[in-house]
Amino acid sequence: MAIADAGSSRGHIPRRRRLRVDLTTPTLLGLPLAWLAVFFLVPIGIVAAYSFDVYSLDPGPHSFTLTAWRDFLHSSVYLRLFWKSVRMSLTVSAIVVVLAYPLAYYLALSGTKRKYILLLLLIAPFLTSYLLRVLAWKVILGNQGVVNTFLFWTGLRSPDHPLSQLLYSRFAVMLVLGYIWLPFVALPIFVSLESLDRRLLEAASDLGASRLQAFRRVTLPLSLPGVVAAFLFVFIPTLGEFVTPSLVGGANGYMYGNQIVDLFGTGFPDWETGSVLAIFLLGVVAVLTVVFARFLQPRQVAAD
Amino acid sequence: MDKQEATERRLSREHLLRLAAAAGGAGLLSRADKAQAALDWLNAESGRLQVLDWAGYGNDGGQAMFAQYVKTHPKNKPQFTYMTNESDALAKIHAGLKPDLFRPYVGWVKYFATSGLVQPWDPKLISNFKHLNPFMVKAGQYKGKQYGIPDDWGFDAILYRSDKVTPKARSWGLLFDERYKGKISWFDDLEMLTIAGLYLGFDKPWRQTDAQLKRSQKFLMSKKHLVRLIWSSETNLWEAFGSGDLWIAYAWPNDWVQMKKKKLKVVYMRPKEKPIAWVGMFMLRKGSPRPNLAHAYVNAWSSARSGKWLEDNYGYGHANTLARPSSSDLLKALQLTNPKAVTEPSAHLDRDIPRRAVYARMWEEVKAS
Repeated sequence: MAIADAGSSRGHIPRRRRLRVDLTTPTLLGLPLAWLAVFFLVPIGIVAAYSFDVYSLDPGPHSFTLTAWRDFLHSSVYLRLFWKSVRMSLTVSAIVVVLAYPLAYYLALSGTKRKYILLLLLIAPFLTSYLLRVLAWKVILGNQGVVNTFLFWTGLRSPDHPLSQLLYSRFAVMLVLGYIWLPFVALPIFVSLESLDRRLLEAASDLGASRLQAFRRVTLPLSLPGVVAAFLFVFIPTLGEFVTPSLVGGANGYMYGNQIVDLFGTGFPDWETGSVLAIFLLGVVAVLTVVFARFLQPRQVAAD
Repeated sequence: MDKQEATERRLSREHLLRLAAAAGGAGLLSRADKAQAALDWLNAESGRLQVLDWAGYGNDGGQAMFAQYVKTHPKNKPQFTYMTNESDALAKIHAGLKPDLFRPYVGWVKYFATSGLVQPWDPKLISNFKHLNPFMVKAGQYKGKQYGIPDDWGFDAILYRSDKVTPKARSWGLLFDERYKGKISWFDDLEMLTIAGLYLGFDKPWRQTDAQLKRSQKFLMSKKHLVRLIWSSETNLWEAFGSGDLWIAYAWPNDWVQMKKKKLKVVYMRPKEKPIAWVGMFMLRKGSPRPNLAHAYVNAWSSARSGKWLEDNYGYGHANTLARPSSSDLLKALQLTNPKAVTEPSAHLDRDIPRRAVYARMWEEVKAS
């Protein structure tokens, strides 16, 4: 009867109002979905089509083939480069998270009134261009840069023997990427810590937990979603990074993203292989996101 | 004809009135040549000349080399898109860019001539053509047709700091010298495989067999740890070389000029295996709606005056044999008095690589290794 009533009452909603209700969701979602479909899914589909040679730069007949994928999966060179990039991105992400956590912790939990001013200072470098910030490191790390000049001045190095591995190296890429992404990492951790229910910390203290124990058993588990989000914020874009390595990486700092760019643009365009590398990267990132997504949910504080 | 071209060709009201006046005049005077003039006017090429060229050759410093064209065609000034290399140009054209002309180098003449993307030039429309170096002119031909108009040229050779480096020999081997680990720069191009082939003594480095190519690739991979920078833009090279991060580099004559300007002690060495000579070739895109303007533009570039400016300011040679630089050092380095400077026995003129795609893939693997 209740169901019948409900149905009956629904039947009395004026037609115009029902129409408005029905159209709200599609209207709100329609445009963003269309945008995503046209500018995200379709381009990915085109790139995928290139990877299977359905599309090709070469004139003449061509059809679906797995050759480029087979070559890629049998190429130790490309896979090695991918793992090298994964290692570099993991290192950068881990170091940056470790560095950013205390910073975010201080800003969120210290109770200072100036925390938003400090937060603003943290993100201030973003007011300048990305390119400019990367190029500035060339001035700092070069043979005649700030670091080497200081070492010459102190007598720790002679001008004939500067620290030459500072620039055009894997180290330079990781250093600059860490610098660029540090604020991005600090922000989600800050948000996560700031939304922490302080009463939980008071309860832990009342129950005899030391500050370290409270941090380990309460603060850290509750801030983990922010930490994981921060880690992904760095790991995903740096894995496909190509601007920073091309500016400060040299031959040794060459990354997977550079290879994709080069396959599309230099030597002789090889869009098939470039597309395979791009789709493979996309796939790996998608899998990682799904895997890590479960950690993005707020965790229960351990009861034991 | 695409929409943009159609729009550019659309007659304005003013043009239509002028055409009507011309046609009317022709009718009154009953003179066929006037009518022809009216028709010619109707077919006149319009819009800005679309040029796909290298950085430094457009409105970013190269204006002197096409100043004559701008003077005579002020309504059809060139509009530039830049290319970083030939494959970049190829990718841009495939992606829909429609330049009237572009400038690949001599090794790509056959590729583009057979690609169906370009059409031959009419040398009769280029008054400076007769002054162009005949060897370079020939290199721009395919099956007797002039697909490439030669212009700038130079060498791929080795630049090194004479106050820091003592070469064991005048050889490409300096790019692979273990003593200078971390101070060496290669060029980001599959040509590095050709250079490895030259160094390893292969008789046809542009047509290496699979086994030779594998050996060249393995050799480059084994020496890559010596390399600090694989440069793709000259400004990157100048910056790193100028700051002392590099002492040895694969380089072009302009790089030598630039480093000398920085007061560095540099030598531009011609290796005993011979340098590789390159010649810029203007190419006319098939279907260009402005072929006459393109010819006029190339004619301006081909003048002795433009050539001298190029030599004086960029340190490259110019195909016009009347062009002479002010610097005797450059004259000597480029062997500008030798009409055969770019070819045997002085140098290897760069040429078509039939298996370019294979070379390219192997070079990419060297970089990835």
